[in-house]
Amino acid sequence: MSAVLLVGLKITDLSAWTALETGRRLLEPGHTLSRIAREQLLLFEPEPGGKAETFERTLGEAVRQSNFFVNPNKERYRFLTSSERGESWSPPDSAWGILSRVREDTRDDGLKARLLREHPMPGLGAIRRAKVWWLWSRGPDGTPAAPYFRETLGELRDQRHGLLVNPHAETAMLLHGATPWSRVDRFLIQPAPALRAAA
Amino acid sequence: MARVAVVQIPGVNCEYETARALEVVGLTARIVRWNEPASVWSEFDAYVIPGGFAFQDRIRAGAVAAKLPAVDRIAAEAERGKPVLGICNGAQVLVEAGLVPGLHPGRVEMALAPNRAPRREGYLCRWSWLGVTPGPGSSWYARNVRPGQVIPMPIAHGEGRFLTADPEVQERIEIENLVLYRFVAPSGGRAVRYPFDPNGATLQAAGITNRAGNILAFMPHPERATWLRQVPLELKNAWGESRRAAVGNWEALEGPGPGRILFQSLASNLLSPSAEGARPGREARS
Repeated sequence: MSAVLLVGLKITDLSAWTALETGRRLLEPGHTLSRIAREQLLLFEPEPGGKAETFERTLGEAVRQSNFFVNPNKERYRFLTSSERGESWSPPDSAWGILSRVREDTRDDGLKARLLREHPMPGLGAIRRAKVWWLWSRGPDGTPAAPYFRETLGELRDQRHGLLVNPHAETAMLLHGATPWSRVDRFLIQPAPALRAAA
Repeated sequence: MARVAVVQIPGVNCEYETARALEVVGLTARIVRWNEPASVWSEFDAYVIPGGFAFQDRIRAGAVAAKLPAVDRIAAEAERGKPVLGICNGAQVLVEAGLVPGLHPGRVEMALAPNRAPRREGYLCRWSWLGVTPGPGSSWYARNVRPGQVIPMPIAHGEGRFLTADPEVQERIEIENLVLYRFVAPSGGRAVRYPFDPNGATLQAAGITNRAGNILAFMPHPERATWLRQVPLELKNAWGESRRAAVGNWEALEGPGPGRILFQSLASNLLSPSAEGARPGREARS
């Protein structure tokens, strides 16, 4: 089990706003997109065979009391220890998400080295990065129509289809309803699937 | 007279020097805003999308600009055979729009991913060395390059790593010689490590064309190397020697720099008598 930090802007997120404006132009009539929000996800893995509890307290203090991860003037965050995060991850009310990561190794060794220099914490194995786009959408039938919106705004295929993820550099997974954290962990840790197998 | 549109998308910042580089080789450059009416685009003989940060690189470099109606119109003109050059951010736009490599027209087949060289990531601004592998784009963009010639040129990007996750695309790019410009060692040999391979791009690609050769996505900045005065004094090759020898000689400093060769190549094509007669879209202006 790993600890998780989610960081988003509390000021206007112009990237998310531009994604909303650009995304709306790609939609067919009858489909509406009311909001897009964006968060950075950091996953803190214990060393092999270790437990996250060994470093979570120090890590929590670093998150809350230093400005290492969060600039409180412009960002908000949720820090979830391995026990706090529960079994599954639920999207914000009425939203669903597209979680994306780079195709290469998701570990950020530079960030880990800087963190340990400033906040020594035995037991931290790796920090992994991903990004989540939360979407508030409605199809003609009043449902969120996540498959349609993912097709239209998710992985880039051509000028009319896809926006948020370039599948040649990134891979993505859908966050619809409660998603087991174990699936999210695997998505970040395992090698990215081949392009044609990505789902 | 060949007219080139330098496309000004909100956030680009190299349009004026790009226009000057086109003018110095005899082309007529006009800076055209992204939201000009549809009828304007067909008036031009060529298009250059300059460097910068279109839409502040929001979402991903080039991602938002690639969806612009102006890019659709430029793509339609490229279909008719007109050349389109994307420099740095312009290259990112062309890749995100599926125009390069364009093996399956319209399909996005590559990304320009964040730089990733061993022990060196992030934004990089420095001079690099380029070699040319003849391919379908040679005539438009490397006509005046001698075999084996090494061309120094500056790069300035954080996301310049040409990358495809599709093995078939990778193979076709290689087989069809779509990597027109590659990063090389100063000797002209293969760039096997940083800094000669500055960003970890597939096949050390610095510039990739479409199959027809008329669209080039080019990461370095030739407009920043168009005059000898732009060459750094410390450059260790013949260009550096010329630059050092020109100190205090204004006339020599206003002479050509290594990047001009790319614009000259474009001009040679656009200004040739055969091109003057056969240029698509010519009738639209008369």
